[in-house]
Amino acid sequence: MSGFDTLPSAWMVWDDPAPAPRGAVLEQTRELDKFLSEIERRAFRMAQVALRDPDDAMDAVQDAMLKLARNYGARPSAEWRPLFYRILENAIRDQQRRRSVRKRFMVWLPGPKEDPDNEAQDPIDSVADGGTPVPERLMQDEAMQKLESSLRQLPARQREAFTLRNFEGLDVAQTASAMGCSEGSVKTHYSRAVHTLREQLGEVW
Amino acid sequence: MSEDTVDPAMSRFEERSRELFQNSVAGLDMGTRSRLTQARHAALAAAASARRRPWLLRMPVWASAAGVTCAAVLGVALWFGGPLSPHGQISAADAQSKFEDLDIIAASDESSGDAMDMLQDDLDFYAWADKTAGSEPTA
Repeated sequence: MSGFDTLPSAWMVWDDPAPAPRGAVLEQTRELDKFLSEIERRAFRMAQVALRDPDDAMDAVQDAMLKLARNYGARPSAEWRPLFYRILENAIRDQQRRRSVRKRFMVWLPGPKEDPDNEAQDPIDSVADGGTPVPERLMQDEAMQKLESSLRQLPARQREAFTLRNFEGLDVAQTASAMGCSEGSVKTHYSRAVHTLREQLGEVW
Repeated sequence: MSEDTVDPAMSRFEERSRELFQNSVAGLDMGTRSRLTQARHAALAAAASARRRPWLLRMPVWASAAGVTCAAVLGVALWFGGPLSPHGQISAADAQSKFEDLDIIAASDESSGDAMDMLQDDLDFYAWADKTAGSEPTA
């Protein structure tokens, strides 16, 4: 299956013409809110692992939330998780494509080059939750940065399989549904990803 | 989770990476959390307003685009494949002949009614002319 297969029907589907009862709609909205609030932070971090830039990651997550709520809100809640991650992966791919086009044009345009790591940020925004002692936290941050860096070097499908299975905890069937491929392909991608990552990080990690 | 990987070292690696990821999620700054909450509320509000719209207005852009395309294809097919222009070609002579016929009909004498009446009045003359033109010239 192609690495660029897109969600075939995310933008084609619209809600049933028959309006749902008001109570049912409210209940569904509440359920969707709960679901999104449970996964939004993990989804953001997964998008950030793939895209690096936090603004691009935020855009991808917001796009996925919007599409899920608009097009699949009426689906059973058990289907939301793989659907959401499938939409998110498509949004990540769109961002990557957009970025590569932007880079191509930026070469020809005058002015300062884009540097996402050098953006001015509000210092209050970057205050993390306390809890973990500082030296331990620094070590964890460093290890996570190495992991992220290695993940970005993986082929997209391997990175998807690893993040969905390991970070998000989807089973093989759910991962296959989210990636739009067979369960066998998921196992292969995941196994290769783990082996590659272990080879790269095993010594120093 | 790792039912396919029985290697304990691999399992440790998986556990370690998962733990690091979860720590990084827990350590997200307040600004990012706030933006995520806003994004969620915006998505739910947009979905709710889309649900309130009549279903016809909720049809995606592709539906209207498909309609326009079908009309254009049909128009082109009728234009090139119509009975007036078989095989999509009209010879100059055919076109000229059709225009001349129209001219004859349009420029006919107004006092004699329409062109069909004129033709019917002189039917004997046209039969004689046709016969004469078809016969061999006599010496």
